[in-house]
Amino acid sequence: MSWDELVVENISLTFNKGRANEYRALENATMKVRRGEFYCLLGPSGCGKSTILNLIAGFAQPDSGVVRMDRQRIVDAGTERVMVFQDASSALFPWLRTHQNVEFGLTVQGLSTAGAAKRAMSYLDLVGLKEHAHKFPYELSGGMKQRCQLARALVLEPEILLMDEPFAALDAISKRIMQKELLRIWQQYRMTVVYITHDVNEAVLLAQRVAVMCRGPGSTIKEEFEIDQSYPRRLTDGAVSKILEQIEASLEAEVGSSLYAD
Amino acid sequence: MPTNLHNILRHMAIATVSITFAIFCWALFAANFAYPDLVPSPSDTFMTATGMIRSGDLFVHVGVSLERVLVGYLVGCILGVLIGALIGRIKIVGQFAEPLLQLMRPISPVALVPLSIIWFGIGDMSRYFIIFYGVVIIMIMNTAAGVSATPNIRLNAARCLGASRQQIFRRIIIPSAVPYILTGMRVSLGFAFMGIVAAEMIAAQSGIGYLIMQSRMLLRTDIMFVGLVTLGVLGAVIDGVFKLAIDRTMRRYMEYQVNI
Repeated sequence: MSWDELVVENISLTFNKGRANEYRALENATMKVRRGEFYCLLGPSGCGKSTILNLIAGFAQPDSGVVRMDRQRIVDAGTERVMVFQDASSALFPWLRTHQNVEFGLTVQGLSTAGAAKRAMSYLDLVGLKEHAHKFPYELSGGMKQRCQLARALVLEPEILLMDEPFAALDAISKRIMQKELLRIWQQYRMTVVYITHDVNEAVLLAQRVAVMCRGPGSTIKEEFEIDQSYPRRLTDGAVSKILEQIEASLEAEVGSSLYAD
Repeated sequence: MPTNLHNILRHMAIATVSITFAIFCWALFAANFAYPDLVPSPSDTFMTATGMIRSGDLFVHVGVSLERVLVGYLVGCILGVLIGALIGRIKIVGQFAEPLLQLMRPISPVALVPLSIIWFGIGDMSRYFIIFYGVVIIMIMNTAAGVSATPNIRLNAARCLGASRQQIFRRIIIPSAVPYILTGMRVSLGFAFMGIVAAEMIAAQSGIGYLIMQSRMLLRTDIMFVGLVTLGVLGAVIDGVFKLAIDRTMRRYMEYQVNI
């Protein structure tokens, strides 16, 4: 599949239309992601980050506006856009072993079990789960579960990897290890990544471009920041911390208070 | 594992004590406060039981009842899972069936005995139906609950991994409901046993339920007690075997229920 740009164009979406709990999540939100880019959506909780990601995944359709890859509209889920979810316990298939979870996307397409097993194993190796391939998800730690989700997505060689706060539930150390691993894999495969987080540090460490969203209801993309810094980045590095401060200032305006303790 | 064995032994010891205690109370009550014809002593009951075991009568009754339970139970489980899956999956079918199920749930199998005789006659078909009825309602409700409790995230994950609607149903939704289905199977097995006596009220010539009913005519409370104890023991043993089998083979389905 050849394409250059993932475009989210003027999308609006209201939940529970016409009912008491009606909520206008997005209003005329627009963003463009370049092929191969690491793009981060940052915003306060409830601002519609996940909604945009679900629309890109094709899980839902906007009330108005389009989501497209070049000129091809996204109307349904597809294996070229695979999602890694925050809640691994729900997202993984708990009755399947780790390697079977990774093989799932291959076998539903009709690939033989042997062929699927071989490919799955190479991706389990990539994410460092080879030794744990025969464990069930409940036997894996939080970080390992996310590695499993990552392998399950990557084995399909997606064009776009959608990540919905994938490391938000991990402890601080596992989180940093996983960030490093993700960067290593991304630098190797150069797939497009659309990454959601509410953690400014994480956004600055990972992304080439960070989009700050405004607070809901009727949220949209407020501002984008280009981060033209080489990896690995350090938050203490002068240029990096300068961008961090700019992004924080933008976010503070949305949250309506300082992010620093008085 | 030594701790495991220790636990099992401890468990068995406590069970032995509690059963011995119950028999002791029963013996005390029978000897001091009741007519022997109304409350037979444990030893009388035991004598009657050994007589029935030696003659083979008890096994005949147990075999006949087990066959009835098994047929009603299996048909109830299979149909219950199929109907439950439909109800849980298709919203409109669920909304349609919900009030009907709520109306049917309080109707006990016993209440259906007369109707069952008119519909199916006095043969085994009626008895299967009584047991089936107790099982199928539970299985429908549990399966439907399990199917509709499948996390949305899991469905979306399967979608973006390329699974078709049919594959999602077979490979995601049904396995997600397995813990609910197994729980339903265990609960309804108990109900199937409770249905035996009701089922064998219908002109039966053998079976544990028949044995109990028949003893009333002969004022043989000792045989009645043998029947009751047999029902209790059978139910408990089969439930234990069922639980063990689930723990052994379905562990991967049951484990995550605790983790969620």
